[in-house]
This record gives sequence, structure tokens and C-alpha cells, in this order.
Amino acid sequence: MLLPLLLLAAAQQIDSIPPRVAPRTVAVDERLAGDVGLRVGDRMVLSSTPGGPGDTVIVGALVQRAADPSEVARAEYRVRMHLDELQSLIGYGDRVDRFAVQTRGGAHTDSAIRAINHAAFGFQAYRSREIAVETSQTFLVVSRFHRAIGVITIVASAIFLLCIMLLKVDERRRDVAALRMIGISARSIVRSVIVEAASIAVAGSGVGVAIGWAASLGINWFYRGVYRTPLAFAIVTPGIVALAVALSIVLGLVAGFLAAQRLVRTPPLELLSGRREQRGAANAAAI
Amino acid sequence: MLFHLAWATLLRHRGRTVLTVLGVAVSAAMLLDMVMLSSGMRASFRNMLVASGFELRIAPKGTLPFDTDATIPNATSIAHRLQADSDVTTVSPVLGGQLHVTVGQRTINATALGGIGRVQGDYDITDGRVPSAPDEVVASAEFLRASGLAIGDTIRAAAGYDPELRTTTGSRALRIVGRAHFVYLPAEQRAIALPLETLQRMQGARSTDRVSLFMVKTRAGANADTVLHRLQRTLPNVSMISTASAMQQVDQRLSYFRQLALILGAVSLAVGFLLVTTLVTVSVNERLGEIVIMRAIGVARERIVLQIVLEGIAIMLAGAIVGLGLGLLTARYLNSILASFPGLPAAIDFFLFEPHDAWTALGLLTAVGILAGVYPSWRGASLPIALTLREEAVG
Repeated sequence: MLLPLLLLAAAQQIDSIPPRVAPRTVAVDERLAGDVGLRVGDRMVLSSTPGGPGDTVIVGALVQRAADPSEVARAEYRVRMHLDELQSLIGYGDRVDRFAVQTRGGAHTDSAIRAINHAAFGFQAYRSREIAVETSQTFLVVSRFHRAIGVITIVASAIFLLCIMLLKVDERRRDVAALRMIGISARSIVRSVIVEAASIAVAGSGVGVAIGWAASLGINWFYRGVYRTPLAFAIVTPGIVALAVALSIVLGLVAGFLAAQRLVRTPPLELLSGRREQRGAANAAAI
Repeated sequence: MLFHLAWATLLRHRGRTVLTVLGVAVSAAMLLDMVMLSSGMRASFRNMLVASGFELRIAPKGTLPFDTDATIPNATSIAHRLQADSDVTTVSPVLGGQLHVTVGQRTINATALGGIGRVQGDYDITDGRVPSAPDEVVASAEFLRASGLAIGDTIRAAAGYDPELRTTTGSRALRIVGRAHFVYLPAEQRAIALPLETLQRMQGARSTDRVSLFMVKTRAGANADTVLHRLQRTLPNVSMISTASAMQQVDQRLSYFRQLALILGAVSLAVGFLLVTTLVTVSVNERLGEIVIMRAIGVARERIVLQIVLEGIAIMLAGAIVGLGLGLLTARYLNSILASFPGLPAAIDFFLFEPHDAWTALGLLTAVGILAGVYPSWRGASLPIALTLREEAVG
């Protein structure tokens, strides 16, 4: 674990006492550079304790944050230094927090892990995959949360769609009654309503995908600004589009079918005269 | 009369009304959940911070408590200077670390907190007593479960390893004198608390007269922020955090969830609004004749508007009542998902129900219900009577 490094003085400030050796270079987080106005070539003093003695270093590079979700909520600055310089600065001696080891892969990795763990005392070798699984737990939780919210949204959308289709078909009861009275079969009417429902669902899906795509652009623009990260927060993939369109078409068809069935089961004369409604109103009045 | 008419209109199309109420209920549930999410984690975090009565936390410069392994040097001197302040009543130093406990052939790693038993605020004793002698410890239930040990047992714990000499460092025999619930640690964390000096000695030179954190209680009636600013002037080399500034940090780190709550809450309201507006508009269109007849026999335009607005409000309220129950159920489920965040203290709830949340959701839904009824009702009540009567009669 690195001790927190405190920035004591920033750009254009050179120690009054010249360093004995040429200053080393460091790479600076672009957030830090942006906040204090650092540029490549600037000098600064790094210290492990506030007000304590420090090392003068030169900004050799500005580092952009990786698109790593684990970095998103972390606001602290990062400075990348040469290992020996950091060890010296924080009094860490000949110690490191971890080694990254590259193997020839496959069975070589297994034998390397076995050999290291056999010889190790007080430390242990892990596969990168195991560490990735462990450190990605947070995002698995967030992913499960998003899925749960998605299911609730789908339920709400389904009810909304069913409601709209019922209203839409209900509005046309007089047309349907007229069609039935001139001899059009109930089956044809159901089909025509289903085709209409499917058309509405397809059109709605198209508009929905466009809105979703625009919203994802807005979300990414906003959160990238807030967290200063290149990470994509919302992605519209072909799979997501296909799922959304398929869901809305299926829901639209089911809603259209249910609404059409309700209409064709009512006698045409009742539909035309609105007696069904009157009966409902009379019942309500009686209540 | 108005209520009766509105009720009768809603019952005229029962299926449609039930479906709309159901749609509003899902929206209301989502809205309630989002209101709970936006305020719940703040409230539960605040409750956790203030539960032990410590208003100030003092961490190594530039860090949050236990955010890094950094420690504060000259702890004794700082503690004295803190206690010298007239508004400070209690100073509790805490040192964090890892202990490696040997149980038979196994080694169990545990989070260790070194503190002063009589003033500590990190744990509550659930069985046994607070450690007082240098070789006494209390342990979390999870540690006792994993190790198979019980109160009264003696353990051998080490603070580190020396790979070169292949020995443990800071090894010591410790006796378990209690079981504790650690307030700021996850429920599944294996943890041990022991006297501060014991842990400092076990960790060796790197922890001599060092602590990870000071927790400070102030005198009743003293303003914690005023005390903080005064102490900060005398101790510039540490970071001081009041409950308010800790809340700001939490807000910053969890801003994603608050913004998600805001967006989804707004979408829920919009869906509810669209649903009720659509239903009421269709309902008004279907009974234009009825409405103009009422106008023709002298019913005031305002009463017609009011009747139609009441329909919208009734749907919203019915949906809100169903949605309240639904929202509490879904909140419990969603909270159980987020509670599995690694390292989250057991005391933190993302969805914390407070009556204020329910009233907020109900108020928003009622306002939306009114808005949803305004347009169709005004349109219906503004129709020209003679022309509409003729059109409705002729068809």
C-alpha cells in the first residue's frame, strides 16, 4: 500500500537549494494536472508527510485514467514514480506490495504458482483471473441491482402497453360493430387489430430505441464529466435493442389480441349502442 | 355528488381502471423506492456515524478513516492536545491492522482494531466484557465461528511475517474475553479488538506511538464544526472530518445511486402521468355528450373540471396505496442485493423507510394526478355546447 503523497508545491516552483542529483521524472494523473495546472516538464516537490522533507521531481508524462469502473468513485490523485524513489521517499526499504509475474501460460502458470507458494512464507501467488473475480464483486452487485430495476421497468412497461392497447381498441368499438354487421368475420377483425397493435409496437420500439440511444449519449456525456473518466456508463448494443424490440412486439401482440377478443365477444348492437357502458354505469350508480 | 359521479365514471370501465391503477401502482412503487434510495443511505450512514456519539474523526492528512494504511505519528502528543480543548470530552485513538491467528494447523486472518476499551466506539459487547488487560481481546461472531474458539480460549496471533527469516513477527498469546458486534465493519468480517498498546507493540517500530484514527466527542451544546476549525488550526498535519463533512464524502462516493434514483423517480412519475392523462382523456372523449348535457342544464364549468380532476386523483391515490406495499417489498429485495457489496458495514441500508419518504411519494403522485386531469377536463369543459350536442346527437 502506498502511503498518501502530498503535493507541496506545484508548477514553476523550484527548491531554493539545488538538488544534488538530477531530478527524476514522474507521471501525473491528468486530474491532478488539470486541477493545479501542471504540464509536462514542470517541477514539483513530493513528500510523504505534510511539511516534511521531499524530493524534487519533473513531470514526465500525464496519465489518463483507465476506463476502469473501480476508479470511478475514487477522487484521490495518483502519481506514478520509479520504484526505488518511492521506497526511499516513504522509508519502505527493500519492500514491495506485490509482484506481477508473466509466465509462458497454461501449465507453466500452474507450476509457477505451486513453486512460489511452496517457497513462500507470508505471501501467496494468485492467478490474475482470481484477483479479477475478487475485485469485480462490487460490479457484480451493481449489475444484479440494474437487472432487478430492469425487470421492474419491464413490468411497468407491459402494463402501460396493455392499457394503451385496450384504450386504443376500445375507442374503435363502433367501427368494429359496423364491420361485424356488414359481415366481416370476428377472425378478420382480430387479425386486423393484431396487425395494428404490431405496427404500433414496432413504431414505438423504433422511437424508444432512438430515445434510448440519445439518452445513453446524454448519460455518458454527463457522468464522464462528473467522474472525469473515459468509462462508458450506458451502452446501446444490438442485443439490447433486439431484446427491447422483441419484448415490445410480443407485449403489443398480446395486448392487441386480448383487446380484440374482448371486442369481438361483445354483440355488435351492444357495441354500437354503447349498452355495455350504460350497464356498467347503471351498476356503478346502484353502488 | 361530484365524488359519486367521478366514482361512477371510473367503474364504467372496470377492467381499464384496474389496469391503470395497476400501472400507477408499479410507477408509485418505483417512485417510493427511488425516494427511499436517495435518502436512505445518507440517513443510515448518518445514524451509524452518530450512534456512538463521536462527532469528529481525525485521520492521516489527505485520507478518510481507514481509507489507506497510513497512520498518524506522535499520537500521544496529539491526544493530549485534543484533550486540552475545553469543548472536547472524549478522545478515542484507534489503530488498525491485520492479525494472523494460528488455530491448530490453520491460520485465520482477522482485522484488528487497537483501542482504549473504556472510551472506544468501534464495537458493542454482545457477550463477555471489554478487554482491559494487555493480553485480552474481544472477537466478532464470524471470527469465533470460523476459528471454532469461544470466550475464555487463548489464541496465538501475529502481526506480520518475515519472509527472510521465515518467522512470524509480533507474535503474542491473547485471551478472548468477549464477543463483540463491530459497528463499522461488514457482518461477515472476522475481527478482533484489543488494547491499543498491545497492537502497537505487536506491529513493531512502524506503529510506535502511531494510530490510524482519533474519534472525538464534544461537549453537549458545542458546535462540532467550530471545534473542528479550532482544532484544525492547532493540528494542521492531520485531516479532521466532522459528521457533516463525512456525509459530503459519502454523497460524493455514492452520487451514482442518488442520480439513478432521481432519473428513475422522474421516469416513474412521467409514466404515471402519461397513463392517467391517457385514461382520463379517452374517458372524456367518450362522454362528450354527457358533459355538454351537464353544461346545458346549468352545471358550472368548474364543477365539471373538478369532477374530471377527481377521477385522475382517485386513480393516482388508489395506485399509490397499492404501490406503497409493492414498493416496500421491492425495496427489501433491492436492499438485499446492494447489502452484498463487499466491505459494506452491516448497519448501512440503501433503502431505509421513513414516513417522510411515503409522504413525499404520495405528495408527488397527487400533484401528478391533478396535472394529469387538468388538460382533458379543461378541454371537455370548454366545448361549445350547441355544436357538440348536435354532433353527438347526429353522430
